[in-house]
Amino acid sequence: MKSPMRLAKAEDVRAIGLAPAAEEERKPRLLAKLKELRGSMRSLAVMLDTCVKCGNCVRQCHSYLGTGDPLNAPPARADLMRKLYRRHFTLAGRLLGRITGAEDFDAQTLDAWLTYFYQCNECRRCAVFCPLGVDTAEVTIAGRHLLSELGMVPRFMQQVALNLQKTGNNMGIPKPALLDSVEFLQCEMLEETGLAVKIPVDQAGSEILYIPSSADFFTNVDTIIGVAKMFHALGASWTISSAVLEAANFGLLFNDSAMRAHNRRMRQAAEELGAELVLQGECGHGWRAARLCTEAASGPVRFRLMHVLDYTARNLGRLALRRLSMRVALHDPCNYARAGDLIDEPRRILRACVEELVELAPNREETFCCGGGSGILMDEMMEIRLKLGKKKAEQIQAAGRIDYLAAGCSICKAQLPHVAAHYGMPDLAIGGVMDLVGKAMDMNRSTGGV
Amino acid sequence: MFFFGYILPYAAAAVFVVGMVRRTWDWLSRPVPLPLTVSSVAGGRRARAAAVAKELVLFPSLYRGDRRLWLSAWLMHASLLVVLVGHTVGIAFAAQQFRYFGASKEASVWLSGAMGLLVGLVFTVALLTVLYRRAANVEVKRISGPDDYLALVLLLCVAASGLAMRYSAEVDLAEVRTYLAGLLVFRASPLPRAWLFLVHFAAVNALLLYFPFSKLVHLTGAFVGRSLLVQPPPVYPTPADGPTAAPLFSQGDRP
Repeated sequence: MKSPMRLAKAEDVRAIGLAPAAEEERKPRLLAKLKELRGSMRSLAVMLDTCVKCGNCVRQCHSYLGTGDPLNAPPARADLMRKLYRRHFTLAGRLLGRITGAEDFDAQTLDAWLTYFYQCNECRRCAVFCPLGVDTAEVTIAGRHLLSELGMVPRFMQQVALNLQKTGNNMGIPKPALLDSVEFLQCEMLEETGLAVKIPVDQAGSEILYIPSSADFFTNVDTIIGVAKMFHALGASWTISSAVLEAANFGLLFNDSAMRAHNRRMRQAAEELGAELVLQGECGHGWRAARLCTEAASGPVRFRLMHVLDYTARNLGRLALRRLSMRVALHDPCNYARAGDLIDEPRRILRACVEELVELAPNREETFCCGGGSGILMDEMMEIRLKLGKKKAEQIQAAGRIDYLAAGCSICKAQLPHVAAHYGMPDLAIGGVMDLVGKAMDMNRSTGGV
Repeated sequence: MFFFGYILPYAAAAVFVVGMVRRTWDWLSRPVPLPLTVSSVAGGRRARAAAVAKELVLFPSLYRGDRRLWLSAWLMHASLLVVLVGHTVGIAFAAQQFRYFGASKEASVWLSGAMGLLVGLVFTVALLTVLYRRAANVEVKRISGPDDYLALVLLLCVAASGLAMRYSAEVDLAEVRTYLAGLLVFRASPLPRAWLFLVHFAAVNALLLYFPFSKLVHLTGAFVGRSLLVQPPPVYPTPADGPTAAPLFSQGDRP
C-alpha cells in the first residue's frame, strides 16, 4: 500500500539544506549513507544483526494492531532496511541471497521505506518487550534520516524545518506575533486572577529559560498559562526566548542535522540570556531530544536541564493547590515513559491538583502511543492516524467516564482530539498537565520565593 | 575421514570464536552518538549490569508479552546451557562427577545419563514448540525467513542425534572421550566410528560454522543491545571531563 503522505518538492528540500538525489543516484547514495550510518551508530549495527524474529513485539505494536498491515509489525518494518543491509554488507547475504533474508534495492524499496518508516510512531514500545533490546525506532529513525539524505522528506516535516530556520519554532510565529499573544495571555490572566502574571520574553539575566511548545500560543494556551502562574507563585526569575520558542525538535524524527541545529538554538539562547536552568515544556520527543541529545549536538553546556513537570513536582509543596473536583485520566506520552524518566512526576502533580486520578491500562513504560507520535500529524495521513490511535482509544474507553484526559505533550494534544472524536468520545476534554496546575492554583495564597 | 575428524573441528571452532569476537568487536567499536536510554537505572554501573543480567537470565520482557513464548524460549535456552555444562562435566569426569557428592560409581553414571536424557528431552521439546509456533502462528510465520527455520533445524539435528546416541549400543563414551581429549591437546586419537556420533558431531560443526553469520549472534548481541537501553543519560551542566560530540554522518553538520 502506497502512503498518502505528501513529499516536499526538490526546491523546498534544498531550502532546508538537503540535497535531493536524482533517480539513478538514489541507490548508490542510499547504500553509501547506510554504510556510514551503521558505522556511526552502535545501536543500528547491533539491531540489524540480532533480531531473532521471536515475534514478541508484534502484538505489542499499536501501529500493527491498529492498521492490521503485516508490514507494520516491528520486525517486518525493520526488515525493509535489514534485507538491504544483508544483501550488501554481510558475507552470508552476498553469497546466499534470499535464504539469509537478503534482497537488493528495487523500484519499490523507497516507497516501502516512506510508507512504513512513517507509520512507525517511534514510540519504542517494542524495545520494552524485546529481550534482546532491539529498538525498532532506531532502525526507522535511521531510515527516515537516510530518506532525507536522498531529499525525500514529508512536506509537513519540510515546512516545520523551514519555520524553524526562519523563526525558531514549528508554527512560524515571528516575534511581533509572539508579543501580541503574550500581551493577550497576560490580559486573560489579569482578568482571571486580578494579578499581573507575566510571561517575560527575551529577558536577559533570567535564571530560567523556559522552552514552550509553540502550539501553546495557539491551541494549548492553558498549558503556558499554567506554567506562567506557577512561576508567578514561586516568584521565579524566568523568561521565554523568541529565538527558540519550541520544545519540539522534529529533526530527531527525520534528519540528524536539523535536530542538531535546533538543539543549538536552545544552547545559544540560554547562553545569550545567561540562564542557569533550561526548562523544557510539554513536548514528548522534544524532551527526549533535549535530555539525551544535547550533549552530542551542542555539548558541552553550562546550564542545568530539566523538564517543567519534574520542576513542578519538586515545587509542589510551595504551591497552594486546591483539588479540582474532576476525574482525570493520565496518558503517559511515549517519550516521557520510554526515554524521559517522567513517570511519577505527572502523577504526583495530578494527585495534588484533582480529586481522582485514573490510570489507563497498560500505562507507564508500557503506555500505548496516541498515534501521532514522531510528527505523524499530516492532514493527508488522517485515515492512518486514526488507525494508529485505535489502541489508545480503546484504553480511554475502558477507563469509563472521565472529565479530562491529561496528556503532557503537544503532539498528543494535537492527535488525541481526532482520535477521541472518531472513536465516539467527541466531548472528551483533552489538555496538558500544567493546564490543571494553573486551574488548581489559588493565586492569592501561593507565595514562594525561590 | 581425516578432514572430518581432524581439520573440520578446528576450522569450525576457529570460525565460531573468531567470527563471534569479530562481530562483537565490530558492534562495540562503533560509537553511541545519541543515547537511546529507555529507562535510567539508578545506582551506577553495577545496577545497570544487574538490570541487563536479570533480563538475560529470566527473559522478563518475554514473560510480560507472551507467557507461552516465554516458557518455551526460556526452557530452550536454559536446557541448552545445562546440556553444554553437562557435556563438559560428563565427558571430563567420564560420568563419575556425582561420586564427589557421595554417589556410587554406578549411581553416578546412571544419574549423569538420566539428567542428560531429561534435559535433552526438554531442549528438544522446547525447540519443537518454538518451531511449531513459527510455522503455525500466522503473525510469526509472516516475519520468518528461511534462516529462521534453518537455525532451528540445525539445533534440532544436534539435539535429536544427541538423544539418539543414548540408545545406541555402538556409541562408547570412553572412545568419544579419548577422541575429544585428543582434539583438545592437539594429539590425534582415533575418531569413533559409531555413525550416530558422527551425525551428532557433524551437526555441531555445521552449527558452529553457521553461527557467526546468522541471527544466532544474539548470543553476544543481546548484551550489547540491552546495555544500550539502560545507558545513563547525559548530565547537565556537562562535567569538565565530559565526552565530546560525535556526528552521525561524516560530512558533519550542515548549517
